[in-house]
Amino acid sequence: MSKSPPVLSSAMRVFDLSLGQMLWSRRSVFLGVLLGGPVVLATALRVISELYTSGFHINGAMAGGATIFGMMIWLLYIRFIIPVLGVFYGTALIADEVEDKTITYLFTRPIPRRTVLLGKYFAYLACTTLLVLPSVVLVYFLTVPIGGGSIGAAFPSLVKDLGMIVVGLASYGAVFALVGTRLKRPLVAGLVFAFGWEPAVLLFPGYLKRLTVGYYLQALVTHEMPQDSAVSLLLQVFREVPGVLASLFWLALITAATLWLAGQSVEQREYVLEQ
Amino acid sequence: MTPIVAADHLSKWYGQVIGLNDVSVSVPPGITGLLGPNGAGKSTFMKLITGQLKPSKGAINVLGEPIWNNPGLFFRVGFCPEQDSFYERMTGLEWVTALVRLNGVSDAEAAAMAARAIEAVELTEAAGKKIGAYSKGMRQRIKMAQAIAHQPDLLILDEPLSGMDPIMRRKSIRMIKDWGRAGKSIIVSSHILHEIESMTANILLINQGRILAEGNVHQIRDLIDEHPHTVYIKADETRALAREFLAHDDVLSLKFEEDAVIVQTGRPDAFYARLTELAATGAVGAIHEVTSPDDNLQAVFQYLVKS
Repeated sequence: MSKSPPVLSSAMRVFDLSLGQMLWSRRSVFLGVLLGGPVVLATALRVISELYTSGFHINGAMAGGATIFGMMIWLLYIRFIIPVLGVFYGTALIADEVEDKTITYLFTRPIPRRTVLLGKYFAYLACTTLLVLPSVVLVYFLTVPIGGGSIGAAFPSLVKDLGMIVVGLASYGAVFALVGTRLKRPLVAGLVFAFGWEPAVLLFPGYLKRLTVGYYLQALVTHEMPQDSAVSLLLQVFREVPGVLASLFWLALITAATLWLAGQSVEQREYVLEQ
Repeated sequence: MTPIVAADHLSKWYGQVIGLNDVSVSVPPGITGLLGPNGAGKSTFMKLITGQLKPSKGAINVLGEPIWNNPGLFFRVGFCPEQDSFYERMTGLEWVTALVRLNGVSDAEAAAMAARAIEAVELTEAAGKKIGAYSKGMRQRIKMAQAIAHQPDLLILDEPLSGMDPIMRRKSIRMIKDWGRAGKSIIVSSHILHEIESMTANILLINQGRILAEGNVHQIRDLIDEHPHTVYIKADETRALAREFLAHDDVLSLKFEEDAVIVQTGRPDAFYARLTELAATGAVGAIHEVTSPDDNLQAVFQYLVKS
């Protein structure tokens, strides 16, 4: 057997080739628009707070800017946008190349097939981080000053939130990359996993919730949520979570294991392109 | 002599459909033409020898090694696929450079190798243009550039002349022959005997998933002359072109389509030679694309199998 170049160096070359294609794809434009949603909402909240009130009450409890920002991070980004990005990009890492019939050029180069997946996964991570970052930062600057919050004081929590988002993107992307390489209808399966299975099992006590990414991501949420309400009770249930280090360990394990399995699948699978 | 490709009882099936059926063949070094009509198993064979498909049964070795799951072999193999698919937003130079980089060479080396390959296919002037803006012939050539850029020992070309104008077609044939003379081994597939014969006398005839014949197949030449050959020509001045064609008795019929004329000829050799001359002089305006439908060979093969 002839030797091929090192895996990581090959993956980085696939990354270089893929990042530009991914950034300027129709999918990125669409999801870029989706990421404008939280910014529009944050702008509206800020305008309302400036014009009519100095703060918001959620179920009777006073919610400052940092709390609103934290709720937006959890409910909009972690529970919705990050899984959506993971599903749409992760399941398409190889499928896009197959659909565009460009996979042949990559699979007839002296690199293991798994490095194509790995390089495209890194490109996904960079692309989605670049898409999410401006949206989160804008939401931060718009919401935190509501009710007199200090941008400087809350800055460490922004850094933590950005870290949590990247970890979420990495984990969901890897899980959905596996789904994309194994299943025939990966998008449907991915959406069912993200918006059917995960929210459902997170509501119930027991071990099933350990089979979700969301369960471990909860441990990384640093924000205090409003208390004394149905929402807060629900959130308390949500927060039956392991410690931060344990969560990071499990998320890293999920990411590595699913990526490895996805790579195995790509190595063994035949891709028959329609002529 | 060690074969460049050796298939031993090679079969490939897709569910119930047989793509290739118990094929044992040794392809010698040099230029070899893989000839067969649509659905004959050419594409399956090409995919098997480029490691895109795994044999269902039997074995396939390329340059003495199994090709499936052996990416290192692609240091020595270059592949120009049939499909017209690209990263359309990249320029030709960017695309070829990016693909050559996957061979593990440095950025500067990759750029130099890509530039040389693009020059070899005479596309230097368009190297900085986006591939999305390329004509069909230019797209074919940039595909060939990515296949030759790393200077492989074995070049596998799947329908490389499809859609090229007559002048570029002639140049490409000359280029492929030059590579052969330079010691490269080349396997080139086509459904047009005339194309293959202009490159090599060593032909593999494939039909219904089996190799019908291999070697120097002269009798096919006589057979093809007995059957009308259809050519689709996209040109600026189709009426003037038709007038030129009708002056010769090998043209059996003519049909006009939007911006194109479809010709049936009894002597494809003479017809293609004349067409290339017409394109070179520019006497009847620009000729953009010349293609030949897959069913040309079908009649010949049916005749061959029956006789």
